[in-house]
Amino acid sequence: MAKDFSLDRALVSDLADLALKAAAQAGASYADIRLGETRRERAFARDDRLERFDDNLRLGFGLRVLLDGAWGFCAATRLDRASVLAAVERACANARAARTVQAGAIVVERHEPREALWRMPVEIDPLDVSAAAKADFLLSVTAAARDAGADFCTAWLNCEREERLFANSYGARLLQSRTRVEPAFEATAIDRASGRYATRESLIPARGAGFEYALACGLKEDAARAGAQARQKLAAKPVTPGVMDVVLDPTNLWLTIHETVGHSTELDRVLGWEANFAGTSFLKPQMRGQLRFGSDLMTIRAERSREGGLATIGFDDDGAPAEAAEFLIVENGVFKNWQMALGQAHHVGLSRSNGCAYADDPTALPIQRMPNISLEANKAPCSLDDLIGGVEQGLYVIGAGSWSIDQQRDNFQFGGQLFYEIRDGRLGEMVQSAAYQGRTLAFWNSLDGLGDETTFRLGGTFTCGKAEPIQIAPVSHGAPAARFRGVSVLCTERENA
Amino acid sequence: MFLSSDDVKALTDRLLARSRADACAISVSGGEAQNLRFARGAATTNTAASDVRVRVSSHVGGRVGSVSTTSLDDAALSAALARSEEIARLLPVDPEYVAPLGPQNYSESRRYDPSIGELRLDALALKVEAVAKACAARGVNAFGCAASGRRFEAMATSNGLFAYDPRGEIELSVTARNKTDRWSGWAGVNRLAADALDATEVGRRAAEKAAREDEPVDLKPGDYPVVLEPAATAELASWLIHALDARAADEGRSFFSRPGRGARQGELLFDEKLTLRVDPGDGLAPSGALGYEGVPHRARDFIAKGAVESFYRSRAWAQKTDAEAVPHSASFHMGGGDASLEEMVRATKHGVLVTRLWYTNWLDPRELLLTGLTRDGNFLIENGRVTRPVRNMRFNESLAKLFRKIEALGPSERVWSAFHEGGACAAPPLLVERFSFASRSSGI
Repeated sequence: MAKDFSLDRALVSDLADLALKAAAQAGASYADIRLGETRRERAFARDDRLERFDDNLRLGFGLRVLLDGAWGFCAATRLDRASVLAAVERACANARAARTVQAGAIVVERHEPREALWRMPVEIDPLDVSAAAKADFLLSVTAAARDAGADFCTAWLNCEREERLFANSYGARLLQSRTRVEPAFEATAIDRASGRYATRESLIPARGAGFEYALACGLKEDAARAGAQARQKLAAKPVTPGVMDVVLDPTNLWLTIHETVGHSTELDRVLGWEANFAGTSFLKPQMRGQLRFGSDLMTIRAERSREGGLATIGFDDDGAPAEAAEFLIVENGVFKNWQMALGQAHHVGLSRSNGCAYADDPTALPIQRMPNISLEANKAPCSLDDLIGGVEQGLYVIGAGSWSIDQQRDNFQFGGQLFYEIRDGRLGEMVQSAAYQGRTLAFWNSLDGLGDETTFRLGGTFTCGKAEPIQIAPVSHGAPAARFRGVSVLCTERENA
Repeated sequence: MFLSSDDVKALTDRLLARSRADACAISVSGGEAQNLRFARGAATTNTAASDVRVRVSSHVGGRVGSVSTTSLDDAALSAALARSEEIARLLPVDPEYVAPLGPQNYSESRRYDPSIGELRLDALALKVEAVAKACAARGVNAFGCAASGRRFEAMATSNGLFAYDPRGEIELSVTARNKTDRWSGWAGVNRLAADALDATEVGRRAAEKAAREDEPVDLKPGDYPVVLEPAATAELASWLIHALDARAADEGRSFFSRPGRGARQGELLFDEKLTLRVDPGDGLAPSGALGYEGVPHRARDFIAKGAVESFYRSRAWAQKTDAEAVPHSASFHMGGGDASLEEMVRATKHGVLVTRLWYTNWLDPRELLLTGLTRDGNFLIENGRVTRPVRNMRFNESLAKLFRKIEALGPSERVWSAFHEGGACAAPPLLVERFSFASRSSGI
């Protein structure tokens, strides 16, 4: 079991009280503060060497005040009274400065204040596992890939824990701890004579879990397969491009869900708040409840409490409970709801946000970020073979590769790690240099086959970027295997012709 | 928390004296930053933050353990030192181990004006107000971010190295969108001091691009002559310079690998007009003085007149291959030419003017094949004139091919970059005869 909190609970609680009292005295109508620590451990192996081992501890707080209808925010990587009091003063000054260029008063809803303690359940605290054990683990992975045919292999293990106290002027006191691990590798095979090379990245996703996940996830076995497959890719023929049916493995589809559905349904984008960097959305406020996003098979759910999810937590960084972020985003193909953070809902005529805030560090401003977002599996039996069986000529895509999408989340292009031809309902030979390109609504409306729970898998990333300055969020996406008709598949070698 | 060189030196001396490792390297970084974001001409969010980080790397028997902390408390620093030594002792011996560097000569990098530290959010609010007015005057909405800050990077080792490298900047980027949300334009700048940043001019440039009432045209995907504005050129060039990894090239894992063995150093792979240079003394885009692992950045051509002159190379790989260690740089200067952007447009019969690019990513790094999209100011060029907006498109383009034939280059200029990212890039407007647009996008 994980230890109790590392945080000095009395200290952060006193500092929270100090900040909120000072903010109230300064005239703030609302204030909240996040205080805590984030521990990030990074181990990286290259072939037969443990190249780096870094253990990083970051302490700090971030204070947000609403003063005269304007936000002010100030943060520091310190946990002491003088820094907190200075931050109250600076945050209030920021609010007064922002007010001079603000159109109207900020309106925020009130989340019922709660006092709670939440801790992600883990069996083995990854930060208690020795550096030696982690080095052995990673070197066994690189060895497995190289023994199986790779010329090179890098492997890494990232272990992170956030401990944070959230407190606000309504009386909320939420102490939380979440833990995540990312075991991964990249295997490379080369052909010196031709100067060509091929890579195969790990298909094992990051998880909200302890070290027990790293031990049980099969990374070493995947590395052995990857070593052989990287070499096989070197000799595989290029894909024949064209419009065809594709069957996407959940190891690929999670990223497509993230980019096309996850980001397009973020309300701050729709409001234009990310127009200068992360982008806006093709969705408009009036489309809620109206737009046919995809086929009837498409039901996508926000799920803050998904076991093993990277964005799983008891309360978000606005203090909203997990149950607020359990909602349908798309139901049977119809767009149902936005993801929202504090102060956004009223802009589209809704009464309250739905628990989708995250600050990537106590010193960062909370913004709208995704909870875990997943495509529901088919309730009727449907295996991967069934999906492939319904394809005359097509492509089966495994793993996430190159990815890119326009700033309104319409035109996308995704690669993969492994590609196999489908001919007459059967899996054919491996091909390489493939990517699929599409437009979000057309793509999801072409969904005509959905795997059942037996094909469902949770994917995810440690590193979704958004906002200025950029914040990095972890998030998981579950998906079954799925079949899409009439998708444009390109051959990267021909793109370069 | 912006520490002075003397403060850092006192801290690192104290820590190094306590080290019980064979050798020790200490990196200290920190700073202060603030920003003000806006949408539709009005403030949305703002932040002010200070941070500091001390990273201790202990070297024990050919192994290195690193621990960092944001606490400057004596007990926390001692704990970090002890933990780094403990980690090092637990790790396997590194067959490519390198000891910490000794004293180095660092170039002077002019990236810091102390006045930047005095700025508060009201100074940024004035910039935002000026942008909003400039955009309102053209009937378009302003979205963007104003930011300022100062940071330092420092390093000290038990072998006698000490380096301290400060930088500071104010930056402003503006996306203007017309009132119907059907077209957009963008502009951005970085300056060393607040009074050098003309926010009205930045707003005016973004508004000029966005203030179009005519419906954007859809171009058929295919190859077109393209004029890339400096921000777009810099985006492409950044991928090229980041691909110049010596280890990957030597090991056969790179476009820059020579069939058989070795890297394509010295080969003329690109147009002779292409030069990519890193220089701490660069007048437009100075790199930092202090590079990765403490290796100094020196004035260096990575690509000179189309030939690959340098690769970046870690100290471990440099030791293994008996070559010079060269730090990777987030800053670079792509050399320019004499043609103006207007001349390039005049020389184009039927092509596209591209303001900036978005979500670029390797599609196939083996061939330097990059994908991405145009964004915030894509225009049709007809018979030597910019005529109307062109809806954004996805490109799939090999940088090897793109930079192999450059028709014309304009004067290089500093292009906008986010302060927190640390790099400074300068690039010219660029005319190429063939740029491959692969598909249409409705994204505006």
